[in-house]
Amino acid sequence: MIQGDNTLVLLLAGGVGSRLNILVQTRAKPAVPFAGLYRVIDFSLSNVMNSGLSQVGVLTQYKPLSLMSHLGTGEAWDFTGRTREVKILPPRTGSQDSDWYKGTADAVRQNIDFIRARPSRETVILSGDHIYRMDLDDMLRFHRRKKAHVTIAMMVVPRSEIHQFGTGITNSEGRIVEWEEKPKVPRTDLASMGIYVFDTEYLLRLLEEDREEVDFGMHLIPKAIERDNVFAYLFHGYWRDVGTVQAYWQANMDLLKPEPEISPQAWGIRPNPYADRRPVDRCPARFAEGCVVKESMVSAGCFIEGEVINSVLSPGVRVGKNARVRDSIILHDCVLEEGAVVDLAILDKGVRVGQGAVVGKGEDKATPNKAFPTHLYTGITMIGKGAEVPARAMIGRNCVVTPLRRGEDFPSLVVATGDTI
Amino acid sequence: MKLKPKVLAMILAGGRVDELNVLTAYRPKSAVPFGGFARVIDFALSNLMHSGLERVAILSQYRSFSLINHIGIGAAWDMTGRHRGVSILPPSQGSGQSSWYRGSADAVYQNLDFVQYHDPETILVLSGDHVYQMDYREILQYHRDKDADLTIACLEVPMAEASRFGVADIDDEDGERGGRILQYQEKPANPSFNWASLTVYCFRPSVLYEVLAANAREDESFEFGRDILPRIMASQKKVYGFKFRGYWGYTRTVAEYWQTNMDLLGEAPKIPLEEWGIRTNLEHRAVRDCQPLKAGPAASIENSLVYNGCVVEGRVENSILFPGVHVKSGAEVKNSVLFFDNVVGHGASLNTVVSDVNVTFGARVRVGEPGAPQAEKVTVIGWNNQVPDGMVIGSGCTLHPNLRPEQMDREVKNGEVV
Repeated sequence: MIQGDNTLVLLLAGGVGSRLNILVQTRAKPAVPFAGLYRVIDFSLSNVMNSGLSQVGVLTQYKPLSLMSHLGTGEAWDFTGRTREVKILPPRTGSQDSDWYKGTADAVRQNIDFIRARPSRETVILSGDHIYRMDLDDMLRFHRRKKAHVTIAMMVVPRSEIHQFGTGITNSEGRIVEWEEKPKVPRTDLASMGIYVFDTEYLLRLLEEDREEVDFGMHLIPKAIERDNVFAYLFHGYWRDVGTVQAYWQANMDLLKPEPEISPQAWGIRPNPYADRRPVDRCPARFAEGCVVKESMVSAGCFIEGEVINSVLSPGVRVGKNARVRDSIILHDCVLEEGAVVDLAILDKGVRVGQGAVVGKGEDKATPNKAFPTHLYTGITMIGKGAEVPARAMIGRNCVVTPLRRGEDFPSLVVATGDTI
Repeated sequence: MKLKPKVLAMILAGGRVDELNVLTAYRPKSAVPFGGFARVIDFALSNLMHSGLERVAILSQYRSFSLINHIGIGAAWDMTGRHRGVSILPPSQGSGQSSWYRGSADAVYQNLDFVQYHDPETILVLSGDHVYQMDYREILQYHRDKDADLTIACLEVPMAEASRFGVADIDDEDGERGGRILQYQEKPANPSFNWASLTVYCFRPSVLYEVLAANAREDESFEFGRDILPRIMASQKKVYGFKFRGYWGYTRTVAEYWQTNMDLLGEAPKIPLEEWGIRTNLEHRAVRDCQPLKAGPAASIENSLVYNGCVVEGRVENSILFPGVHVKSGAEVKNSVLFFDNVVGHGASLNTVVSDVNVTFGARVRVGEPGAPQAEKVTVIGWNNQVPDGMVIGSGCTLHPNLRPEQMDREVKNGEVV
């Protein structure tokens, strides 16, 4: 194992992830809950922990509060001790580069003092937005073996999706010889996962050359490829960017398959149970006489009297008598009252669905949301944090109910497919 | 203004009992798992936390590793801080006499230096073996109101059962709240009163010091119920009984332990864990690393408690599953309590079973009899056992921990002990 204190990790957790709609109204994308107990960033943090790396800076910018409380002291990922730490690095004023982060590279540049204060041979830069398991130690060994200045983790993706990524063309040694950021016409199927290993000295030189270069994928990486040794480290396995409602929903559903490609527990992914509102108090999930639970994940603290099929339930969810949940993601402490139906929906924390109300009604899953046609177009309806759906309300497909809506905010008990409240 | 705590709580957690020997072979009774994620002692600790009493000592002697591991630094019960803390007090050698704890009273006596260092106004002595919810501030208030030397929490039990308990005769001085204890008898053959002591005692420290010293000097036996209470009664002290009316769960025998577990289930459980605010330590046994319960396509879970980290592909009914239990497809678990990391193989069927940590039931194994569950018919299985495919085990059986394969190579008839 490469010694943990020789490698610095910078985790970019500033992303807005606006395509996740109401899920990112109160939190940054890495802080979005996932798989019942986890948050998206737990995957990156646990990969860092399980790779034996323990000097971590987390760069935040957008709505950092829930992220900060989730990270806490970093104890959940074993980042406390003499040589272990996790530091939150928000934008700050008063130093030479005092401004909001203008891009990934700019964010790192504004924290050069942090990097210098922790002498390291390599710096690993990764994003807190992805669901995957990866051994970063193996990538570091590859980086040293290749005597690379920069190593980029890359994977093969379908050609139809390649336009969303930075792409590279490699030679027979694995050296990247050409780079194209988000190409319109794909010439390769090798996509960057946004995980970089830099020789630290090289990174610092590169950052100091030109302050106008604010993005790794757009500016620094192409420049490095042109001049120096940049290698592709090939990754095989499950990796998802859960940046869209559809991808977020699908990755949760992937958990429920009989032989899932994704298994947080088997991957050694750790949540931080203490950062929750009621940390240790969650009792075992309680299942009443006559309830039905199939193909689902149910967290501690849930109480199920009705029916739960093909769904992921976070802690503290109550599904009342004759209530039904299907193909849905229900976050912490939601309450489905008697006879409520939730079908193909994402309910943020603390949503209450009144007696006999239906969320996700009708067969028309194709009419997109009128206000956010690029967010919701496959039938998923979203209910924002703390909203209350009145009893007997009928909410269609591809609808959005924004956070904290109450009975009087609903103009009528029928919310047509594609509407937003 | 809160300066130094006025009350020192001492939890008696040292014991094991023969009737629960399979489950207490490697741990004290207070550390026996309970409720799908917790340990029995969590009830006393959570009650203390909710009562704002956070200066706590735990007296522990028997196989204490599991308990020490569970308590950790006490952070799970918020017992860390300037005036908060949990101290585990094991037996220790000293310059004078040094011995194992010869009884619950001796355990406190041997730690009088600790007690006197904290110099409390009241010493609250509790057992770590019971399942209940109590706000200790009420009994402490009663103890202070009466300026008592000793106040004992008591529960009214049927006269027919009174002979199993230490029982008190409480007068009507304060009606429903309590009264003076006129007589106290430890497990009387023919009881004539039926307020059972719950092993929740409030002592005036000077009185406790005095009677512990006399007990150590003059007696052969060193138990609170058998020796200390009768001595205090005999010396004409002010002893009061505080009348408790809530749920009280015992775990002294396998039947009692199983019944108390079943009280967690049903439409209105007698033990509402959530309401009681039970806290446990998630750090050990990697409880916090578990993902949510995963239910398979053919799963059925009814009237049960299931914690994170379980996988259920078969049927679970009237049962409690601890983290890491895997019920495979076609398997059926009824009226049972399965501790951490049990595996129930394809097509196996368990009825009225209490199974300790790390037991694997092979495919098509049958344990227990079909039909209505009865506490007397519980089959208890010790930890780290591999029950081979197709094995049949009857009801009311006892299988000890760590059995070798050749000991499992046959049918086990009803009531047998292996």
